[in-house]
Amino acid sequence: EKWDMPLAYAASNFHSENAAQFAACVTENSGGAVEIVTHPSGSLFGGNDIKRAVQSGQALIGERLISAHQNENPLFGIDSIPFLATSYDDHERLWDVAGPKVAEALDAQNLHYLYSVPWPPQGLYFNQPIESVADMQGIKFRSYSTATARMAEMTGMLPVQVEAAELSQALATGVAEAFISSGATGYDRKVWEHLSHFYEVDAWLPRNVIFVNKDAWDGLDDAAKGAMNDCAAEAKARGLQMSKDYTQFTLDGLKEGGMEVGRAGDALVAELQEIGATMTEEWLESAGEEGRAIVEAYRASQ
Amino acid sequence: MDYVLSISIFLFVLFFLLGSGVWVGLALMGVAWVGMELFTTRPVGDAMITKIWSSSASWTLTALPLFIWMGEVLYRTRLSEDMFKGLSPWMARLPGGLVHTNIVGCTVFAAVSGSSAATLTTVGKMSIPELNKRKYPQRMVIGTLAGAATLGLMIPPSLTLIVYGVTVNESITKLFFAGILPGLVLAGMFMAYVAIQSWVSRDWNPTPEPRMSFVEKLHNSRFLIPVLLLIAVVIGSMYFGWATPTEAAAFGVIGALLLAAGQGSLNWHTFTQSLMGATRTSAMIALILGGAAFLSLSMGFTGLPRGLADLIAQMGLTRFELLMVLLIFYIVLGCFLDGISSVVLTMAVVEPMIRQAGIDLIWFGIFIVVVVEMAQITPPIGFNLFVLQGMTNHEMGYIARAAIPMFLIMVVMVFVLIGFPELATWLPDNLR
Amino acid sequence: MGILRRALDALYLAGGVVAALFTLAILVIIVAQMIARWTGNVFPGATDYAGYCMAAASFFAFAYALNHGAHIRVSLLLNALGRHRVKGELWCFGMGAVISSYFAWYGVRGMFESLKWNDISQGLDKTPIWIPQISMAVGTVLLAIAFWDNLARLIMTGHHGMRSGAIETGTE
Ligand code: NA
Ligand code: NA
Repeated sequence: EKWDMPLAYAASNFHSENAAQFAACVTENSGGAVEIVTHPSGSLFGGNDIKRAVQSGQALIGERLISAHQNENPLFGIDSIPFLATSYDDHERLWDVAGPKVAEALDAQNLHYLYSVPWPPQGLYFNQPIESVADMQGIKFRSYSTATARMAEMTGMLPVQVEAAELSQALATGVAEAFISSGATGYDRKVWEHLSHFYEVDAWLPRNVIFVNKDAWDGLDDAAKGAMNDCAAEAKARGLQMSKDYTQFTLDGLKEGGMEVGRAGDALVAELQEIGATMTEEWLESAGEEGRAIVEAYRASQ
Repeated sequence: MDYVLSISIFLFVLFFLLGSGVWVGLALMGVAWVGMELFTTRPVGDAMITKIWSSSASWTLTALPLFIWMGEVLYRTRLSEDMFKGLSPWMARLPGGLVHTNIVGCTVFAAVSGSSAATLTTVGKMSIPELNKRKYPQRMVIGTLAGAATLGLMIPPSLTLIVYGVTVNESITKLFFAGILPGLVLAGMFMAYVAIQSWVSRDWNPTPEPRMSFVEKLHNSRFLIPVLLLIAVVIGSMYFGWATPTEAAAFGVIGALLLAAGQGSLNWHTFTQSLMGATRTSAMIALILGGAAFLSLSMGFTGLPRGLADLIAQMGLTRFELLMVLLIFYIVLGCFLDGISSVVLTMAVVEPMIRQAGIDLIWFGIFIVVVVEMAQITPPIGFNLFVLQGMTNHEMGYIARAAIPMFLIMVVMVFVLIGFPELATWLPDNLR
Repeated sequence: MGILRRALDALYLAGGVVAALFTLAILVIIVAQMIARWTGNVFPGATDYAGYCMAAASFFAFAYALNHGAHIRVSLLLNALGRHRVKGELWCFGMGAVISSYFAWYGVRGMFESLKWNDISQGLDKTPIWIPQISMAVGTVLLAIAFWDNLARLIMTGHHGMRSGAIETGTE
């Protein structure tokens, strides 16, 4: 049976490459029982539509940046609480605790959780050197989510809402002067044409989650499920490594493009940690008991 | 051969529905439905609505009704008449006369808008009645408009270049710079064609413009000031960072309303009429865009475009052969898909081919835009043909025939780009 | 019959007017967003709201645009049919009625599905998606009604109720 797998990102993105390898693996290991065909660049369904499409069986498997759906359920945003888990290792430990809960939430939405791969850590892009939160005062900061808008507010920056398609143009014309994203985004968009500084603050590591329509999953025989699970385990490990490798590659790329790339100063980090603590508290309020249990379990594991 | 069968079915249903006179948007839905029913077991109607909703409720699309509204306002005021009063003394003596206003108008407006439909409606709304009044050959008026409006995609800002840039991870700024010179060259080629036609064509007998002295001409140019001001404000709003390209359309509408008010031609009647007219036109385009989005989804499920691109990848071609095959491939695809869909549906396969052949990705972006521009004026699915049909009383076949010379000029443009790649690469390489 | 006719025409016009108001709303939202930005304020979700208005401006106007002859089609064959044109028109309006009904069925269903899946906007606006999708449900149903209406008129009187579409020649 042919399963179409919509992907939001370009074919050359490491997530898409990883998904393509996963697809090939499933097609081979299931002996053709499930043949997965990937559709990168949002060519089948755009990123915003992928979860809905898989939920309702319009596609049987898909990949989505899970925090995009935190308006539905705060739990989906646990991977992007600023400064809660700021390294790959910490983040994996957070996900060890949170992953099963997210899988439960997805299950209630007719989705079977398969695996998940983190994006490189999020850093801050500026058009000037920044040493403290005070330096950020009044800078136009591109925000695209509740969390990024709140962050702008707490650092005294002006949040401007700019859609991804208009990011480059907005930076070129000064509609936006700063934003938060991974090194990969800046590298892909060649941000050095407009901005000068990248601060590795490792604010969070957003995750792409790969899920299957639950009815389709339940309809598979054990052999096919086994093949899927094996390939998923491989893809999870491979994707994590790809993400780590890509982080260094893109940071080098940003430097080569002419940007100042480096860790944020201690003073700035301390101030950001404080903001992070406040935002974690705010998230915990919205996420209720379950969320608090996850964060406590994660902190206990440290 | 699976593909041969599926292509034949697609083509048959498409031509049958469109040809028999079913409304374009609904015909596209019909053919997309057939494709999905044949090639996938997924629930068709639900997928259709997901796709049509997300293509309709779109922030980037909001510039379209606003620019159309701006065109409606200008059309209902004396502004367009004034613009021609200012331009005609200068241009009437040129070989080709006022038909050049179509091309110059589209080129200038292309710098304002990222879409070709908005360029077409705004310029066409103003120029068609004036050119008809002066008895320029209808075929030239329609043809040049259809062709030149596609410059909206090449001259920045350009929606197509943004989508291409995001898809292949190339700098959108560089792509924008790359589009400027080829856009101007293409406009120049259109104008040369108009000049030649004015010499050789026998039915080229426009009403002569009154002779004027240089001082009179200068004096008449005062009529141009309002429109030039409007264009300057819209372009300026983007380049000074007051507005994003999408928001710039709002400057256009408000500017047009203010100008109309200043002229005394704005009243409740013209305001509501322009708004209702814009609503109708943009609803017409929206229905077609919805159908096209569903068709593109259906094509994605059938895997046709990617399969064909795969075939090309396996042919082992030289660089020039590859470009020629891709030219034909995208022309054929462009007959049935809109430009952005054909880029998104094929780039996953085409991008590695291009990189492997050592072709500059910025240059290829401009190549793609020229080819996508052609798609706007090739039947059966050509957006500029649809929009022009909505604006005039002409049949699509007539409009398509009128646009053939423009199509051929664009083909020549592809070879110009191949012969002089610096046209596209020089500006982005040297402007930093 | 007269009352029904007037009621239907009023319905299509109402759709057009509502759509026009949404077009106006797009302008208002975009201007508000720019002013907010220039003055250091935020209009959260502005781009999403503008998008919903865009959809509403389209969907509500579909039927109205149809009756004004704004939706385009290739009428080459129809014109060639001469006195048999009515038969061709029957086919067109028949197909139009079928496809638009399919569209309307799934347009309404899509709205209820969004409600069922608790689909919430991913932007800053956090709108439950079914609310803006009301425009899709209503607009597609209006379009289907308009097609059946025209088809019925065509069968009974030999004429459809669509005006000629040229915008360019008339001054209105
Ligand atoms: Na443009
Ligand atoms: Na075409």
